[in-house]
Amino acid sequence: MWRNDQTGAREFTLGKESWGAAVCAALDCSGFAADVDEELVTDDERSCYNCRYRRWSASSFTCQATRP
Amino acid sequence: MKILLAIDDTDNLESRGTGEIASLIAAALQEKGWGSASFVTRHQLLVHPDIPYTSHNSAMCFVAEIEEGHLDRITAFAKDFLNHECAEGSDPGLCVAVLDRLASADDLIAFGRRAKLEVITMQEAFDLAGRLGVHLSAHGGTGQGVIGALAGAGLRLWGNDGRLKGCLEFSEPGSRLRVSELLDHPGVEAVRCVAGGVVRADDLVEIGEKPKTVLLEGASVLLLSAVQGGEGGATWQTLHRKQLRGY
Repeated sequence: MWRNDQTGAREFTLGKESWGAAVCAALDCSGFAADVDEELVTDDERSCYNCRYRRWSASSFTCQATRP
Repeated sequence: MKILLAIDDTDNLESRGTGEIASLIAAALQEKGWGSASFVTRHQLLVHPDIPYTSHNSAMCFVAEIEEGHLDRITAFAKDFLNHECAEGSDPGLCVAVLDRLASADDLIAFGRRAKLEVITMQEAFDLAGRLGVHLSAHGGTGQGVIGALAGAGLRLWGNDGRLKGCLEFSEPGSRLRVSELLDHPGVEAVRCVAGGVVRADDLVEIGEKPKTVLLEGASVLLLSAVQGGEGGATWQTLHRKQLRGY
């Protein structure tokens, strides 16, 4: 589900349409924090796609959350 | 006179969002008696490795009807607001365009549409703003947000891009309302089927979680999709957020 991209950032390998996997990943993440309302993209509130620490890329996103 | 006020790149990962800053400027403009502001729209710009952005590269814009004598005050207030409120590490940009003084609305719109597809330089943005007679200013960091601010104004002027900030409040999610009742909501200017079907005033609509409108033909439009066997005779439902992602 994750790999390090060329810059060393943690990239979600399943793209922008893996809604279920993004929910599972967020449920498993202690660093999740919901983004502001206008940037939410799914009704599943706890999803990496809705996290303020995801940085969208052309094909997916990278995670910038700090996890303990 | 009517103005477009657009901002971009005011936030960092921990700060309040650019949308909230746009709303605060719009609210202040009204509180100070300088004019009346309309809804704030969010415009998605190109996501590309060569473009620095915090997490999503979106610009925010609103339209305001103001007295001519307040234009300089509003611009100065917005500049000062960005100078003080923008987050550390952000690269804020501000655009204020007076609609009836625009040298070319088409060129501003074309710039906005290009910014969804291409990497554009700050110099191009400043050059175009100068030619169009539009205020464009940088407020910290690299000032890269001027590109998005100018693009946001162009996309709002185009009228066919973006989602409105905020959600519509009806009754509880899962309730059903007639199209005519949806149109009574102050945030809804039109109701349409996303697939182009005909929507009638007395059709019943299932209201989903936090319904949102999008900007189409300059109006705040609530999009619906057809539903088969909807509860209580509903033939339509509001779109899920996933379905609004492309707007």
